[in-house]
Amino acid sequence: MAIFKCCFETQLSDFFEPMVQKCTDPGCCCWCCSALRPRYKRLVDNIFPVNPQDGLIKNNMEKLTFYALSSPEKLDRIGEYLYQKAARDIYRRRNGLVVIAMEAMDQLLVACHAQTLNLFVESFLKMVQKLLESTEPQLQILATQSFVRFANIEEDTPSYHRRYDFFVSKFSAMCHSNHTDRDWCNKIRLAGIRGLQGVVRKTVSDDLVENIWEPVHMDKIMPSLLYNMQNARYPISQPDSPAPHGEEDRQDPPTLAESCMRELVGRASFGHIKSVLRPVLRHLDLHKLWVPNEFAIHTFQIIMFSIQSQYSYTVVETLMAHLDDNSTSSPEIRTSIADVLSKIIAIAAGESVGPSVLEIINSLLNHLRVSVSKLAKAEDSARHKLVSREGSTHEKLYQEALINALGEFANHLPDYQKIEIMMFIMSKVPHSEQDGDVLLQSMLLKSLLKVGTKYQTIQLNQAFPVIFLERLLRMSVGPNPDMRLLVNKILHTLLDRHRNLDKLLKPTVDVDSLKLAITKSSRLDAIFIRKHGGDIFLTLYESLELSNNTVETIEAAYTTTALICIELVCEESVCDLLRLIMTIQDLALTSSKLSLHQKYQLHAIVSSLLALVPHCVPLASLQTYADKVIATRIARAPYLLPPLLRHYDSTVVPTGDVLLDQAQITACLSEAGLDATQMARPQPGSLQHRHSWVDSGMGANAVDINEVDSVSSSPGVVKKFPEEELTFESLKRILSPENVESRKEAEEETRLRLSETYRNAPFGELVRHTQSKGDVLNERLSQLLKKLATKQSLRYLSERQATERERDREEDQRSEEDSEEERDRFGRHSPRGHSRSQSTDRDMQLPPAPQPLYESLFPELFVY
Amino acid sequence: MEDYKFLFKVVLVGNAGVGKTCLVRRFTQGLFPPGQGATIGVDFMIKTVEVDGEKVKLQIWDTAGQERFRSITQSYYRSAHALILVYDISCQPTFDCLPDWLREIEEYASNKVLRILVGNKMDREDREIPMHVGEDFAQRHDMYFLETSAKEAENVEKLFMEIAAELMEQARSKELPRYDTNSPTINGRSTSVGDGSCCSKIS
Ligand SMILES: Nc1nc2c(ncn2[C@@H]2O[C@H](COP(=O)(O)OP(=O)(O)O)[C@@H](O)[C@H]2O)c(=O)[nH]1
Ligand SMILES: [Mg+2]
Repeated sequence: MAIFKCCFETQLSDFFEPMVQKCTDPGCCCWCCSALRPRYKRLVDNIFPVNPQDGLIKNNMEKLTFYALSSPEKLDRIGEYLYQKAARDIYRRRNGLVVIAMEAMDQLLVACHAQTLNLFVESFLKMVQKLLESTEPQLQILATQSFVRFANIEEDTPSYHRRYDFFVSKFSAMCHSNHTDRDWCNKIRLAGIRGLQGVVRKTVSDDLVENIWEPVHMDKIMPSLLYNMQNARYPISQPDSPAPHGEEDRQDPPTLAESCMRELVGRASFGHIKSVLRPVLRHLDLHKLWVPNEFAIHTFQIIMFSIQSQYSYTVVETLMAHLDDNSTSSPEIRTSIADVLSKIIAIAAGESVGPSVLEIINSLLNHLRVSVSKLAKAEDSARHKLVSREGSTHEKLYQEALINALGEFANHLPDYQKIEIMMFIMSKVPHSEQDGDVLLQSMLLKSLLKVGTKYQTIQLNQAFPVIFLERLLRMSVGPNPDMRLLVNKILHTLLDRHRNLDKLLKPTVDVDSLKLAITKSSRLDAIFIRKHGGDIFLTLYESLELSNNTVETIEAAYTTTALICIELVCEESVCDLLRLIMTIQDLALTSSKLSLHQKYQLHAIVSSLLALVPHCVPLASLQTYADKVIATRIARAPYLLPPLLRHYDSTVVPTGDVLLDQAQITACLSEAGLDATQMARPQPGSLQHRHSWVDSGMGANAVDINEVDSVSSSPGVVKKFPEEELTFESLKRILSPENVESRKEAEEETRLRLSETYRNAPFGELVRHTQSKGDVLNERLSQLLKKLATKQSLRYLSERQATERERDREEDQRSEEDSEEERDRFGRHSPRGHSRSQSTDRDMQLPPAPQPLYESLFPELFVY
Repeated sequence: MEDYKFLFKVVLVGNAGVGKTCLVRRFTQGLFPPGQGATIGVDFMIKTVEVDGEKVKLQIWDTAGQERFRSITQSYYRSAHALILVYDISCQPTFDCLPDWLREIEEYASNKVLRILVGNKMDREDREIPMHVGEDFAQRHDMYFLETSAKEAENVEKLFMEIAAELMEQARSKELPRYDTNSPTINGRSTSVGDGSCCSKIS
């Protein structure tokens, strides 16, 4: 009853309203039918003023809203009618009325309940589209505002047939406005960006409504945002334009585009990332935004910081793939891409786990390898045709950028993974010394050095897994001095726990002034040096024997020795070090291969090292002796002191008390209560007692390996651990804590006895002994390697064929542990090519270096 | 109710400076714009025309010719019903680029798209491309051909009207059987808010 009355009243009052206004509409044929018009139409008509400037008639709008709320079933017709009116007004350019219609639509949209909106929304969006189609910027902006308002409303039942491609297309076009009036241009662009933001918000939560991640949309949205962002440096609005009001208006297109991109990227799930990144890469390509690459870096940082962190790795992967796609582009572009990579890779590092880490490293190394061969070719043709070398310079910059990326990546990985990576890189370093390989070698070593500098050594045995140390040592006596220098630098960075490296780069006898940080070496350090000291000292000695040494390589060897002295040497091992020092002096005195300059350089590092030793091990009398020798040299033979010169004028062969005296040093040691017996044999070659041959008792776990157990093949020692069973179980038992302790002790004992034997047995006898064993050992070793090789490939095959996943994994675990052990033994067993050990057979052919664990686990990564 | 019965999307492509924007402006606004800047990215215009007494709405997407906007412009090819490839009859290089453009169209547009080759600026005295050369090219590549002048309003109306008529023809003959919503072709364009009515009218 109430409603009826209400209607009646309104109808009555409508009847007396001025009819002239309505009759301007052709849709309304004449005044006489106006009374018969449906009520909603009259309510709508009433909101329009006679004079558009007066704006929406508020009272009547309230009536319309009330009507719509109480008869929601009429809402869709109200919407349709409003739309038609607006369409006509647009056609007649009565923009004032259009604005009012849109405003009314907005108010209805906000006022009415969500569940009733569905049909109304269709008219609403048609209206928005209609306005967007107009050429008037003002209407376009108005439409965008309405659209954004709509986008923020949550609809209960999304309309699945609704499509947004027009809006994406139009808003993207608006983002590229080139309106001649700067202010309008800016406003239209802002509206475009807001519109896109609205579409994204509206659709992102429900792929069924519209999959905004489809390339057809992303290929428009991303370039539109980027185009506005890249203009950040060239602001469109003039500085003197009046300050705009309101929160929203203050934003400029670049800032808004950027925040829109953050929002979009942040909502991307794994499946969407590619379609987001593809247009970004294309845009950067087409707009030539790689060189210079500030904007590319900026963009990718935004992406990395907004993307859900578990996907950040995908971004790195995609960028890496883009580098692949650009393999034929100029080195400048590649350098820039690699540089972008290095700027974002750290962000991904925290999220990368397992194989993905090695994949990234592997991919970087592959790029490096490709670049190296490219460079080699370029240099080759440059040599022959004398073409410009500019390309090579750029190529080298590219390589630097790659190495930087690698270092950045490694820097953000946990330390244990850095070791893994270093070993992985090492496994890629070519063994041969052929021309082409040298370049690659040096690049890879540089990468290794980069990773090494990011590693913080705590325990040396962790920093130097046996196999890794062996490779390093072997390379430190390679024929190429540059390579030896690099290897030494790697050793430096890994050895230098107390940050003394900078002070020890140049030899000096004034150790006090260096203010070195020295702490007493730990028990683990002592074990490390006991295990590897022999190898290391021998290698150092051998590296100094080489006739192509430069001041730099000799200094590097000094630095390595000095760092070892500081980090590792204790009372127990100081004799070995002093013996090395004496042997170097002997080398300088007796070598027929070294130049006079090199000999003086050796004397100089001998004096520097001698001066250093008493600072590391408290040997007061040695300190006194060192001071005396140095004083003598200062007085009579300054050329035997640092700094190292490239050229010496002197030709004197030093003799007498300018030289270190064996007997005096021995006396100093004895005075300190140290066993100085080894000092008795100072001739070159006496360094060659090799711990690595004797200390491999730990973890024996394969029958065939046990046959060549060094313990049994060592002189005068009975095989020690007959109880060793070579099963997985026994391995576990052996590795359980109590066992490790007792094993360690037993091992220690064996080692001590062995060392004793080596130290005391006459040199010649030792040589004879090892020589005879040498052949057998060698033969056994190659057998063993063959077996292992087949075993590993079999395992790989069986992995492939296995159908039962679960059982497979179990076996895998076991064999993983197995092969780890085997490898470890390898490491220690395989004698290195450089060893001129007691066996005089220097050319003894060695089996290839054992395959590292990853190589068998991720064989696909190792295809060159 | 609706103010049009058909909606077609027309995209203009071709080197920068051949007169795409002028053609669109001439058609939609009836003027020859003096010294407007080069188009950036994509521009949009609309015009409703009448063919056989039916209202046809043309959504016209005018693209930038420059290489650097290729990524955004290409994304508009996909949903086009007609593609107008424009060259400048007084500028040989714009004609020489046509094969490149065709390759682009091949790659990014629907294979059923209506393709029209337009030699613009026919008012100019310094012609470099004889009409028959353009015609030959169009024939070889299975395109419609027309020479126009945006400046003198020559053939511009005709160009778009022919397109509208042709598309309507196609729509009427092939469209009556149901369309497939996933394909962006004229035979099965996907519904958008605006298109919805158009499609429903057709059936
Ligand atoms: N003589 C002549 N000049 C034209 C014609 N159409 C366009 N132009 C001129 O060609 C230039 C480029 O036109 P524009 O429409 O911006 O080319 P677009 O880059 O393809 O959009 C402008 O200077 C126009 O004045 C035409 O039909 N005849
Ligand atoms: Mg243009």
